[in-house]
Order: sequence, then structure tokens, then C-alpha cells
Amino acid sequence: MPVEVDNSSTVSGEASVSSTGNQNPPPKSTVKKKRNLPGMPDPDAEVLALSPTTLLATNRFVCEICNKGFQRDQNLQLHRRGHNLPWKLRQRSSKEVKKKVYVCPEPTCVHHDPSRALGDLTGIKKHFCRKHGEKKWKCDKCSKKYAVQSDWKAHSKICGTREYKCDCGTVFSRRDSFITHRAFCDALAVESAKTQTNPSSEPDPKVQAADSLPPPASPPVSAPSAVTSSDMPIQSSVLAEDPNIVVEKAPAPAPALAPAPPPASLNGSCSTSVSLISSGCSSSSGVFSSLFTSSTVSASIRPPQPPAPAPPSAGLNGSCNRSISLVSSGASNSSSSGVFASLFASSTVSASIQPPQPPALTNLIRADLAPSTSIEPISLCLSTSHGSSIFGTAGQEHRHHAPSLQPAMSATALLQKAAQMGAAASNASLLRGLGIVSSSAPQENLQWGQAQVDPDNASIAAGVGLGLPCDGSSGLKELMMGTPVFGPKQTTLDFLGLGVAAGGNPNAGLSALITPIGGGFDAATAAASFRGGDYTDKDIGRSS
Amino acid sequence: MFQDESSSVTSSSSPLQVFSMMSLSPNLGSPYPWLRELKSEERGLYLIHLLLTCANHVANGSLENANIALEQISQLASPDGDTMQRMAAYFTEALADRILKAWPGLHKALNSTRITLLSEEILVRKLFFELFPFLKVAFVLTNQAIIEAMEGEKMVHIIDLNAAEPAQWVALIQALSARPEGPPHLRITGIHQQKEVLDQMAHRVIEEAEKLDIPFQFNPVVCKLENLDVDKLRVKTGEALAISSVLQLHSFLTSDDELLRKKSPLGSKNLNGIHLQRALQMNQSTLGELLEKDMVNGYSPSPDSASSSPQSSTGSVKVDSFLNALWGLSPKLMVVTEQDSNHNGSTLMERLLESLHSYAALFDCSESTVSRTSLERLKVEKMLFGEEIKNIIACEGAERKERHEKLEKWIQRLDLAGFGNVPLSYYGMLHARRLLQGYNCDGYKMKEENGCIIICWQDRPLFSVSAWRCRK
Repeated sequence: MPVEVDNSSTVSGEASVSSTGNQNPPPKSTVKKKRNLPGMPDPDAEVLALSPTTLLATNRFVCEICNKGFQRDQNLQLHRRGHNLPWKLRQRSSKEVKKKVYVCPEPTCVHHDPSRALGDLTGIKKHFCRKHGEKKWKCDKCSKKYAVQSDWKAHSKICGTREYKCDCGTVFSRRDSFITHRAFCDALAVESAKTQTNPSSEPDPKVQAADSLPPPASPPVSAPSAVTSSDMPIQSSVLAEDPNIVVEKAPAPAPALAPAPPPASLNGSCSTSVSLISSGCSSSSGVFSSLFTSSTVSASIRPPQPPAPAPPSAGLNGSCNRSISLVSSGASNSSSSGVFASLFASSTVSASIQPPQPPALTNLIRADLAPSTSIEPISLCLSTSHGSSIFGTAGQEHRHHAPSLQPAMSATALLQKAAQMGAAASNASLLRGLGIVSSSAPQENLQWGQAQVDPDNASIAAGVGLGLPCDGSSGLKELMMGTPVFGPKQTTLDFLGLGVAAGGNPNAGLSALITPIGGGFDAATAAASFRGGDYTDKDIGRSS
Repeated sequence: MFQDESSSVTSSSSPLQVFSMMSLSPNLGSPYPWLRELKSEERGLYLIHLLLTCANHVANGSLENANIALEQISQLASPDGDTMQRMAAYFTEALADRILKAWPGLHKALNSTRITLLSEEILVRKLFFELFPFLKVAFVLTNQAIIEAMEGEKMVHIIDLNAAEPAQWVALIQALSARPEGPPHLRITGIHQQKEVLDQMAHRVIEEAEKLDIPFQFNPVVCKLENLDVDKLRVKTGEALAISSVLQLHSFLTSDDELLRKKSPLGSKNLNGIHLQRALQMNQSTLGELLEKDMVNGYSPSPDSASSSPQSSTGSVKVDSFLNALWGLSPKLMVVTEQDSNHNGSTLMERLLESLHSYAALFDCSESTVSRTSLERLKVEKMLFGEEIKNIIACEGAERKERHEKLEKWIQRLDLAGFGNVPLSYYGMLHARRLLQGYNCDGYKMKEENGCIIICWQDRPLFSVSAWRCRK
């Protein structure tokens, strides 16, 4: 192959690259040779051998006037126009631009030979990077590395998309390779021989539920009776059926509601709640049907009143767990998209499920809650199956406890009370302060052990405490400073000791409270001093 | 000697008896037998009183008195008692921790052999998610906002600032696959400190996406959120971006706020102080004008961010830069869930009083939801609430990460960072309400305020959810 080495920089393109003061070194050699692509370049093309630096330089085209670099020749030309060059200098070159081919500067490379030059500058750059360059780009999903950014980008788009997966486990991003593989894959034969098993390793309740759902046959009216028969698959199917049925005909909830028996029975309430929930299904997307069916079960199996001490049983937990997922899966199977089905399907309910007490619960719910009443009993239905004996005893236990456990005030209510007392104690006028104490506190305490104390406290105190946190906190501060003695005083029945009696002798009662103001720790320290000799000296000294 | 004062109170002869009992038997058994006799309400009130006293002593530095108070509280408080007892237990632990920090060597030595099991942390997070509806409601609202914002989008990229709970995205994947126009090409970038958590999440969401045949990618980013380099998120042009931040932003409020306040003489706080003084000297009529001018300057004091608003404008450099970085990604939607309480006061007492109220609500909620004997409840209370309380009470400066603030402040901040509020839709609220109803506990309340939703326990706001778009 005739190769003419021409060191003269007649090629204007070449001149513009090498003539400037920027960091591009001049090309090693300029040969005139034309070769055809690919791999067999045009014999008439001019072969350019650029050094690695030149090759990888990003701004190869440099303006001779201002030394600004450009990646493309066209851009450079556009830029030069702005310099308002005189006509003579304006012309780039008299000759037409010759075809250029490039050789790889790496001597060991096959493309180093001009006869195997590559015709595209971008191509040679990429080639050089790929073969002889360092791989700077790494896919973040797998560990493949690339030297050329475009390669890396192209791979990242594909990596992990994993459109095709053969049964043997091999993954393909391309359809053709997938099909080819599959045709010859041995695993297929093996797979067809096996019986269908659960694909997931962990117990997949949804799959089980799907299998166990009997075909929807029974009308909604009979559904309630089915519910109380303590069989879980049927339960789930009932719940699954109802949505189906309701979806088909809108008036379905009405007949389901009609046979709603008196509150004591769970049946009617179940169907009511189910139909209500499934009416949720029939609404736009049934999105949250699964959501609150399961969540009802999961978190609701606590009486809304103070806790009944019922021991959680492991068996209960396990079965309830399954029931939840069955319920949710049942519902989500019927609804198009259980948006939050998964939010609850997987919820392990062990902690929150206490052995529910449906009779007491129903009563309490009926008594307390109004609109959302119907939804709760679904939890009761589900839990009914898990041994009514537990419920019997627990329910009685609960009812028995209800009155006596009422006094367990919520912390919020306690804080309100403390704030009240503090606010009361800090009042300038003793009587007025006492008036607050005696009017509000005793009434609350008189209702002790009966119906809801907490709401009263909350509502009364809301204005004082929560609504005005500043005041509440200041009230607490006052309490802190002003009433150190009330602790030991209350060992009697309740504050009524203070309040009621104070009704008769207001001044004396409060003065007892107010006396140690500023003393801070008098009672405590006095008590401490009683305890032993340890604190005696310090405390007495402090209290004086 | 107490006879005189209490003689008028008729039924209180027993306290005296108790006192006399004590004098008789000073060293028998526990020193404060009468304390045990208290009924839960009195005990609760006494605990509050003791807590406040102790905190006051700690704040003043009188450690001797604080010690006595702690001793007394320890007689009454217990992590498996009633609500107030539990709260007191964790608050006193926090106060004790705070005291101990005065001896850094001692503190470090005591904490050096503590083992924190990753599995326990994960479990506790899961328990909190399941036992309480707060996270679920936040997820429901977030997902609904995302679905609505991404209507018609073909490429959706979601960035989860704390990718710990797969349930959120599993639900979203299910919802998106049911879209009438078909599912979009979905990408989720999950950020978390622990690789194992991200692996679990990846496994779960990829499994779900494959099941529903959605083009899906999960990109895990293992790093601390505060060290996040937004370039690592690889946000591409042409995709619609949504950011979900659940209880993550408040830790950015740690900054050297004390340092900043001291350093900058031209800090807005001082400036406003100066203006105020000048205003006071001027006429009444010009006061209004001056205040208006102040507001125009960009510092807009909101009515209820009274005490700590100066600090928020100077001491929040970190959060501003983080929000700016997020804004720079031009998200189509950003949903922010945060605690809605002011636990970022500058003084201990401020924070203590506020957190007493908030955590009282949380502990009440816990009491109404789970039984007292439940180990899970204990774990959540100890490892989640207790740790938060400890952080709020005992830590300062960069250590204190639980800097919860009220929604109004967040709205201001986000507004300043260039985000415009997107009201949460009625439909989302409806779903969230149904969820809450499903919890069969009428303590949970939800209210809507300026397009944001606040989840409350009884009357106490606990969490807020708000949605934002990038406002150019």
C-alpha cells in the first residue's frame, strides 16, 4: 500500500488543529492515503495518525484568532464568522475537504496499520477508549464497567429491566435471544413434569386464598350465617363474595342491611360492614377495601376503652394473621386495585391482636361510635372463629373491669389536670383559684368509675391545656413550684380530699398548698429526712 | 408540724399517718411506701410534678436536687406501668442522660458497650408501622398525591428519602398498574444508611413489579441522607420526578445554630431587634409601616412561631441547602411528612413541656391500641419514642436530630426554598379517613389545614402531611 509521508501541513484542517497554543500536540504523521470503510478504508483517503492526547481531546478545533476550542468543525466555523474576518482569510480552504481516516495510536492494535484505519473520528475515539482505555464508567446495578460513556448509558438502560426470564432462571433483555434460549432450554422439560407448587418460598397467603376461595354462590343474606360458622376459608370467601355481588348490583347492600339483626348478634352487623366495605369496592377503584378490612382486624382488636388484661395467645395470633391476609387478599382479588392491600396483607398482627371480646366490644361500640360502627364488627366476625370461650371469659372480664379501670387517666388528661391545678394554684385570688379547683376537679372525680371521664377531661382541659400550650406549660410550671405537698396528701381517696373539704374551708386547704411555694422540695425533702440520716442535714437546711 | 396546715382538710388524716408511719420505720423496705399507695391519677400527677421539678433542677444545674427527684421518680415510674409511668420512665432516663453528659468520659464509658442490633431496629420500625396508623396514613396520602400528579406521565421516577418500608411502594406499584392508561415506566431510587434494608426493599418491590409486569427499576443508594449527593440520584431529563420524605427533613435542622446566632451580627434576629427598638421609639402610626417593611424584607414572622422564628431563619442553613438541592432536581411533586410539634425550642424546659404533651398523646395512643403486657409495645416505646425523647431532652447541637417543628414553620421554609403547595386531594383524605376508621379507635383524628393534612390523637396534632411542587 503506497503510503506517502507528508510532513507539510498543507491540509488546512490539520493546520488548524496543530497551529495553536493550546495543549494539542501536533499529529505524529500525516499520510495521504485513501481507503474504504470499514476496516478497508478508501485508498484515496487521507490517513491521520493522531496521538492519544489529540485523539481524546475534546476541543480539537481551535479558532486561530482567539484560541477557543470546539468539538466540531462546524461549530468552529460558526464561531469564526463572529470575528468579522476580511474576505481573504474568510475562506477556509481552496481545496475540497479530503476524506480522512484515522489509525489507532496504540502500536499493538490491529488498527494501527493504515490499511486498517477507521474512517470516523468518533469511531476511532471510541475504539481507543474501549480497547486501550481505562474503564471509568460502572453500571450501578451490576458490576459491569465501561470505558465509553455511551456504552455505559446504553447498558444502564437495559440492565435490570429484565424483560424476559426463562424458567431455568436465565434472564434476557432481548427478545430474540430469549426465544432462542427457551427453545432449547432443558428446564422446560423438567418444569412440566413437576406439579405446580407455590412459587414463593415464604407462605404466600394470597396464593392460598386464591386457591381456597370457593365460587361465589351464596346470596348475601346467607353470608352472615356463614360468617359465624367458624371456618376461615369460608369467611374469606364470604367477604370476597360480597364485594362481587355488590359490584354487580348496587342495591345489594340494601337487602344485606335489611336483615341486620339486633346489635347483640354479629351476623347482621357483619353483613352490614361487609357490604359497606364492598361498596367501597364498587366505588371507583375499591382501592382501600383491603386496606381497612385487614387493618380493622389488625389494629382494632382492642377495645376502645382502657385495656382489658387479656393474654395474647400465639395460636390466635397466627390464625388471625392468616385471616387478615385472607381477608385482604379476598377483597383485593375482587377489587381491581387494592392500592393498599399490600400495606395490610403482610401485616403481622401478633402484637395488636388481643383476644377480642365481641359482646362487650359490640356494646361499647354501639354505645360510643356512630358512623363507623359498621366497619368495626368485621373484626369481630373474624375473631369469632377463634374460640368463643376466650371471648366469653375475656368479655366478662372486660366488662367487669370496665368500671374499675376507668380511672386510668390518659397521660394527656393528667397533664391537663396538672396544668389546671397549676394554673389554679398560681392565681392571685385564692378563692378564685380554689373555685376552679373545686368546681372542675371534684365533678370529674365524682364521675370516677362511671362513664367516660377521659372525654370530659379532654374537652374541659382542651381549652386550658392543648389549645393553649403556653398557658398549659406555664400552668405546669406553677404546679411544679407551688404544689409539692399534694403528693402525700392524696393518699386518701382522691383529690376530693382536697377539693370537697376545701369547699368548706377554702383558705386553709389552699394555704397548705401554697405554703411551701419556693420551698420546692419541702415535702420530698422532709420525707427523705425521715428515711434515714443521709439527707437529713442538707434537707433540713434547704427547707428552712 | 404539718398537722396545722392539713388539719382543716378532713379526710387527709391519712397523709399524716403516712408521714408518721415513715418516721416510725425509716429504713424498712422502700423508703417511700406511701408513694406506692397512690392511685394512678395521683401518682400520675405527682410524676408530672416531679418531672418538672427535676428538669428545672437539671436546667439550673443543681444536680443534687435533680438526683433526689430522680430517685423519687424511679420509685413510681416503670416502663410497663400505666401511661404516665411509662412516660416518666423515659423522660427521666433522658434527663439522667443529660446530666451524665456533663461528665463526657463517664457518659462515653457507659455507652461504649451498647449493642444495637440491626434486626431489632428493623423490627421496631416495622412494629411502629403496623401498630400505629400514622405511617400508613402518610403513605396513603403520599401515594394518592403521586398517582394524581403522575397522571399521563410515561416515565416516573420516585426518590424515597428513607426507603425502609416496602409496603408503601408495593401499594403504589399496584395502584399504578391499575391505571386506565396503563402503568408508566417506573423507577424508584431508595436512600438508606443500611444496605440490608435496601436489599430487602429491593427484593420486595421488584418481586411485586414483576408480578404485575411493570417496567421497573430499583436503584439503591446507600448513604446517610445528610451526606447525599444529589447527582448520585441520576435524575434523567424527560422523567417525572416525585420525592417522598417521611420524617426525614427535621434532622437537617441541626446546625450550629448557637454558633450562627452568635456569629452573625446582621442575623435577622438582631436586625429585627434593632428595628423593633427603633419602632418603639417612633410614633404609633409608623410602627405598622415599619413592621410591614420588615416583612417585605423577606422575613415574614408568622403569628404562632413567636419565640423561635428568629432562630429558624438563621440556624437552618443545612436544611435550606438540602431543600435547594432537591429543588434543583425540579421534582414534579414532593410529599413531606413530618411530626407536627415544636420540639426544637432552644431551652430545655421549652422542649420538655412541649414534648410532654406530644408524647403523652403518643403514649395514650399506644395504651389504647396495644395491651400493657405486649413486648412489641414496649419495644416501640423504648426504642422509638424513648430514643426520640432522649434525643430531644439530652442532646444539643449537632447531636440533637429530633428537631420537630410545627407545620407552619415547614410551610414557610418550603415556600422560601421555591416550592409551591399542592393541596392534598379530597379523595386521598377520604381513603386516609377510612383507614383511620378501620383502626377502631376514635382517638385518631384527621384535619385539613391549607391543603395539608394533620393527623391527631384526640386534640393533639402529631403528624402532618403536605405536598409540594417545584415552583419556577
